[in-house]
Amino acid sequence: MSLIADPPVRRQRRGRLARRRRLAGFLLSVPAIVLVAALLWTPIVQAVRYSMTNWNGYSAPVWIGPSAYASAFGDPIVRRVLENNALLLLAVPFAIGIPLIIAALLHEHVRGWRFFRSVYFLPTAISWVVIGMVALQFFADRGILNQLLADVGLGSIHTDFLASEYSALAALAITFIWSMIGTNTIIFLTGMATLDPTLIEAARVDGLSRRQIFYRVELPLLTRFIQFSFVITVISAFSALFSLIFVMTGGGPGLGTTTLEFFVYQAGFAQGQFGTGALYGVILFVIMIIVGIGQLRLIRSEDGEGW
Amino acid sequence: MTAAPAPSAHSAHSAPSAPGSVPSAPGSPGSPGPAVSRWQSARFRRRVFAIVIFAAMVVIAIVMLYPFWYMGDNSFRNQGQFDQQSGHSLAGWTQLFQTLPVVQELVSSTIVCAAAIAIILLVATTAGFAFAKLRYRGSGLVFLLIIAAMMVPLQSIIIPEYVNLARFNLMSSYTGAILVYAALGAPFATFLMATYYRGISDELIEAAVMDGLSYERTFLRIALPLSLPAIATVTVLQFIQIWDDLLVGYLFLPTNDRTITVGLAVLSSGRTTGIPPLMAGSLVSAIPAIIVYLIFQRYLIRGLTLGMGK
Repeated sequence: MSLIADPPVRRQRRGRLARRRRLAGFLLSVPAIVLVAALLWTPIVQAVRYSMTNWNGYSAPVWIGPSAYASAFGDPIVRRVLENNALLLLAVPFAIGIPLIIAALLHEHVRGWRFFRSVYFLPTAISWVVIGMVALQFFADRGILNQLLADVGLGSIHTDFLASEYSALAALAITFIWSMIGTNTIIFLTGMATLDPTLIEAARVDGLSRRQIFYRVELPLLTRFIQFSFVITVISAFSALFSLIFVMTGGGPGLGTTTLEFFVYQAGFAQGQFGTGALYGVILFVIMIIVGIGQLRLIRSEDGEGW
Repeated sequence: MTAAPAPSAHSAHSAPSAPGSVPSAPGSPGSPGPAVSRWQSARFRRRVFAIVIFAAMVVIAIVMLYPFWYMGDNSFRNQGQFDQQSGHSLAGWTQLFQTLPVVQELVSSTIVCAAAIAIILLVATTAGFAFAKLRYRGSGLVFLLIIAAMMVPLQSIIIPEYVNLARFNLMSSYTGAILVYAALGAPFATFLMATYYRGISDELIEAAVMDGLSYERTFLRIALPLSLPAIATVTVLQFIQIWDDLLVGYLFLPTNDRTITVGLAVLSSGRTTGIPPLMAGSLVSAIPAIIVYLIFQRYLIRGLTLGMGK
């Protein structure tokens, strides 16, 4: 702390620099602002506007107003679609629990664990389209699963997941769980790497068993990572499965695997109802915001530095 | 396991107790016997434990790798061989190249990826640096608005996006899809770059400016080279994202400019193409992503963990 004030010349220079810095900051952020504003924020505002109209994309849109939402939620088809989304949430505990176990195994750092980590993460690089095509063969009538069952002498159990509504959704959910293993395992492995070894050692010295250490020491410390993976998993379940549905089931049978995100596509592009399509998109957006705000609050509370 | 007396130094190393005790604990002459056997059983148990874990990891590896094996195996079959699940031939591959313009679609994928990533890097590095080091009035709010755009699911804006791109006639070439991919990737990339630039010391930046560099040049000459690891992370993350995407390419690219992922999905949804060529196509589309993954794995993982706000 200098007791002497800056000489006037230097202070002036500081001021000029600060102004230049602010200007440079503004100029450098303009491209990002333009891109995001033009292609993400403007369309979401438009979507809200479209959602309250009856519009096929060609003729003049007919204004309906907010009552469009009321009639949408009263529509049994929409409810069926939302039910599919809700059912898909049943996959989330598995999509988190299985990777948690796998991460715990990897964290034992048994010989070759780095190799296995790479292997488990590999499917993350593969498109949902490719995953969906193999999954289709896995669940097919004459597919891998039935072959496997026959091979282990359970040929009497013949599955045909994709033939009926709820089982098709289950097939989709199982594929989804498999696809999330890589991402979530890495998240948990990262979390486990942050655990303080001295704390674990202290617990061991205190006579806690491996299992007790996992449940009483490690798991509570991993809460933040579990919450993060929960958000990622829910967001993926609701907004990343388009390709999988497109390839595996096309939304069927019936409405069996039509989730909200797929419904947007069907309404907008298969049936040409831009208004209702936009409306379903807005509903999806609101759900995402609710999930996302939770995450934002998590990040903020951990950092303590709000931005 | 025969009873070989263990060197006491090892036992002190592996035994959980004995805090600060000197190796070969003196005092009780009767203790070496039970101590050794306990050490052995602990080692034995740990060994068994390790083997069980290893076996479990092998099983999981098989589950994770099976699809790749399945694709490879069944791409080398014709329809008859596929139905019988026996015999191999090149039929799947020749059929693939007859039904799908593979090379052209790979070129399209490459062009779209490269252009979109270039735009993402341009806006994310500049904006990330600005939000981290060159704050101005309201920059915090702008940053928050850009980050928040990560929460916009593509499906929520797909219809207005379609209308807008059609209005500006951007769907007859790569342009529309490239712009949409760039916009979708920009928020997270900006977040990542800003997080990275925050780690660079203010003194370094100020020193460069005091030496007479403009802030823009300081960014180009000093911050940008320092941020190459973060740039690599963004590139790898976005490459895989865009290469693997279906919806944007499917809706916004003209049929002749389809990417390999889109081409494959459309071929598959037609339900008229046999499985072997589809498996061959799957491999073709997966291989570039796998190669990038294998080379740049750690950047991908870093991107994921950075996303946790760490």
